[in-house]
Amino acid sequence: MNRILSLFDRMRAFVIRDFQLAVSYRLAFLLRLLTILIVVTIAYYISRIFVGKGNLFSDWRDPLAAWITGLAVLNYFMTNFSSLANAIRTEQMQGTLESVLMTPISVPGLIVASSTLDFIEATLYSSLYLVFGSIFFGVTYDGSYLLAFMILILTTMVFASLGILSASFAMVFKRGDPIAVLLGTSTAVFSGVFFPPQLLPEFMQNISKILPATYGLEAIRGVLIEDNGLSEARGPILTLLMFLAVLLPISLWVFSRAVRRAKREGSLIQY
Amino acid sequence: MPFAISIKNLSKAYPAPFAIGALLGRAPLRPAVEALKDVSFDIDDGEIFGLIGPNGAGKTTLTKIIATLVQPTTGTVTVKGFDSVTESAQVRRVIGLAAAEERSFYWRLTLEQNLMFFARLYSIPQRKARARVSELLAQLDLERSARQRFGQLSTGNKQRMAIARSLLNDPPMLLLDEPTRSLDPVAAARMRSFIASLAKKDPPVTILLTSHNLNEIEELCRRVAIISHGRIRELDTPDRIRTLHRPRERVRLVLDGISIEGAVNALAPRLPEVEVSQDGPKTVVTFSREVGDDRLDRGLRAVLDNGTRVISCETERATLLEVLEAVEREEAVKGNGNL
Repeated sequence: MNRILSLFDRMRAFVIRDFQLAVSYRLAFLLRLLTILIVVTIAYYISRIFVGKGNLFSDWRDPLAAWITGLAVLNYFMTNFSSLANAIRTEQMQGTLESVLMTPISVPGLIVASSTLDFIEATLYSSLYLVFGSIFFGVTYDGSYLLAFMILILTTMVFASLGILSASFAMVFKRGDPIAVLLGTSTAVFSGVFFPPQLLPEFMQNISKILPATYGLEAIRGVLIEDNGLSEARGPILTLLMFLAVLLPISLWVFSRAVRRAKREGSLIQY
Repeated sequence: MPFAISIKNLSKAYPAPFAIGALLGRAPLRPAVEALKDVSFDIDDGEIFGLIGPNGAGKTTLTKIIATLVQPTTGTVTVKGFDSVTESAQVRRVIGLAAAEERSFYWRLTLEQNLMFFARLYSIPQRKARARVSELLAQLDLERSARQRFGQLSTGNKQRMAIARSLLNDPPMLLLDEPTRSLDPVAAARMRSFIASLAKKDPPVTILLTSHNLNEIEELCRRVAIISHGRIRELDTPDRIRTLHRPRERVRLVLDGISIEGAVNALAPRLPEVEVSQDGPKTVVTFSREVGDDRLDRGLRAVLDNGTRVISCETERATLLEVLEAVEREEAVKGNGNL
């Protein structure tokens, strides 16, 4: 119990610090809002090309709804994935890692706590895709927001496991993390953010099948756009649970080895 | 009396960096770098202990092992009874580190915001943390800059901030790395007196001080360790280290009412090997002697018997710098011998 309370203390410390730092760059926040609005607007006008055309895929009936859901979810997954990996790297680059680690915070605690504001921001920005789509372009979502949110959390936990693996690379090799490169590119191309994966040649569809984002997106779109319930979403949810059952213990094990190695080599605070 | 820090047979070898060439057998495997070799010493409660040595001697590695940032290869470090590897969280609660690295703060945050962040990491309650931050800013003459961004501070003030941060949770043990490096002479003197006052507090703060300013070490530290090539070469009081290492001193007599020739003639029969020079109207005699021998008595008697006034008599013993240089020379000779 004490550990959880002290983790909350640390999360609060990092949220306040990151908020103060973010406020010191006021323009960045406004630019981010503007970027989301521009992306949603572009998606709207591209979607106009398809008006009146039949669609083979039910969840792509309204391409704008499918795109902005895809973009929102992709933004959420990737921010949360990269924030875990970047937690150590950012402090290393700034030169503050040593002073932070001199306080009674553990390395896993540091990674979780320093990613907290990124999670909050990702939630805010991802919601904005949906909000802007709804306010400015009349996109409606009929399904259960609660179920969609639960699937989002589950997929985020899978991505967090991959983020922990990526953080382990960052700790030992500092740069050149293959997980970040592979996951970022393949998720954007193969998981169905911009077009249904079924359009891909068959061998590429196999790639989409090994990406957790494919199942997360499929389930969330199904719930929000097609008003699917838990029974319809059961397939992708079970697949995500399997991903989590395999990836979480592996990533925690690799991470503990990486911390031990970095401390032994004295490379934890180097960049 | 329990020791504040106890270091036993500590060694640290950094493994050679991962090299593809070595892995493929195309380049020789580089050996591990031995940063510390069999280091053992204890620091008493409330003691200010100095650690000196040239760059690359192992000071930083030793400090970082004590601070739990690096793990030793062999040996143990206990801080207030806690093991630095197995009880690292407890060690970090009783230890404060003020490093000379000024990038260790968030430059876009104010001094208050920076210190409050670190206070929160120590789980200090909000109100108490605010009071502590104000108190420390006042003690370190940073009160007026409290709302200023860290990046706008002078180098000296950045260094004071590092000390303020190290004291946030009121630790009984401090590791100070060059605490006066960027301070002007007056501020440096004040900082030294502040450091000395910490060791006199009740309960006292134990301090491990690393510095290249050897006068500072002599002024503040009860004991000093000289580290070179990862080994402790000397460990004693500054006085004893100087005497043991170089039991000679240089004597300088300033005389009035005697010419250079007169001084040479008066001293030659009783005191060979002296240097005599003119400094304005005064004549200056310098010579070396073993500490405690009778050369000074003989010299004084010679000039006084001649009716000369002795204006001043100064002795100059070996400084820690000279001792450090001597240690380095010995190391170099050993190194050449091994080649």
